[in-house]
Amino acid sequence: MGFSVLIVDDSPVMRGFIRRVMTLSGLEVDNCLEASDGEEALEQLRHEAVDVILTDINMPRMNGEEFLRRLDSEGLLRTVPTLVISTDATKARMLRMLALGAEGYMTKPFSPETLRELLERVLGGKHA
Amino acid sequence: MPEHLHPSNVVAADPDISGILTRIGAEVLETMFFDEAVATPCDHSWIPSAASVSVAFEGSHYGEFLLSVSPEVARSITPSFLGVDLEDVADGQGSQVLLELANILCGSVLSHLWPESDLRLAAPELIRAERAIEDIAHQCFVLQEGMLAISIRKCRPDGPD
Repeated sequence: MGFSVLIVDDSPVMRGFIRRVMTLSGLEVDNCLEASDGEEALEQLRHEAVDVILTDINMPRMNGEEFLRRLDSEGLLRTVPTLVISTDATKARMLRMLALGAEGYMTKPFSPETLRELLERVLGGKHA
Repeated sequence: MPEHLHPSNVVAADPDISGILTRIGAEVLETMFFDEAVATPCDHSWIPSAASVSVAFEGSHYGEFLLSVSPEVARSITPSFLGVDLEDVADGQGSQVLLELANILCGSVLSHLWPESDLRLAAPELIRAERAIEDIAHQCFVLQEGMLAISIRKCRPDGPD
């Protein structure tokens, strides 16, 4: 049985790259939703549940930090594991995102193996 | 162009920048494109026809990161990045991939150069190719399809006098 994922990134080509790496990782994805920023992602989550969220940080309208705060205030962070995928590998940024409730932090670029390991960890092997 | 990138504001590069450009550049390119990238000395004869992108940064350090690719690499990276055939690449996707690649390379190189830093990156923008190698620390790579160069220009935080 596969899992459902929401990819949040303002770059359509980056969303395409993440989909490609997910396919290469061998993970079984049943449903892949996409949003171009936190606001669009919250709107999608009001209509459809997902097993895991992958989010960028630097996005227009609602960035990744604000998106995590809103997920927390709406009680979604407790039920949907959220992983950050960013170009920013500085320690300060990683610690800030983990403190806001992200369950993992992956820097771009990343290999199919790294993505698989992280998703298997947060999904607890139930879907992967 | 942000004020701190004015030519009068450019400062000498740290001696360890070249080594990091070489190592991190190769790692990122191989991870993104599943292909070998070999650092090489270069006469830059390909630069006038290159597509170039600048990413300005500010915060604990100031400057810009630059990426240049030869026309052959510009054509081939989009299908490789997205895992599609060349004829399936949509209009505009080539530029988007180039901007995204510059953003990823910049974030990765800066994080390794200054891991304790707090930096803000501007949105990547296409620039004239010659600026990508003028007065700057840089490294060229040979890819299967052509040439690629990455560069860093470090600046003082204040604007020009």
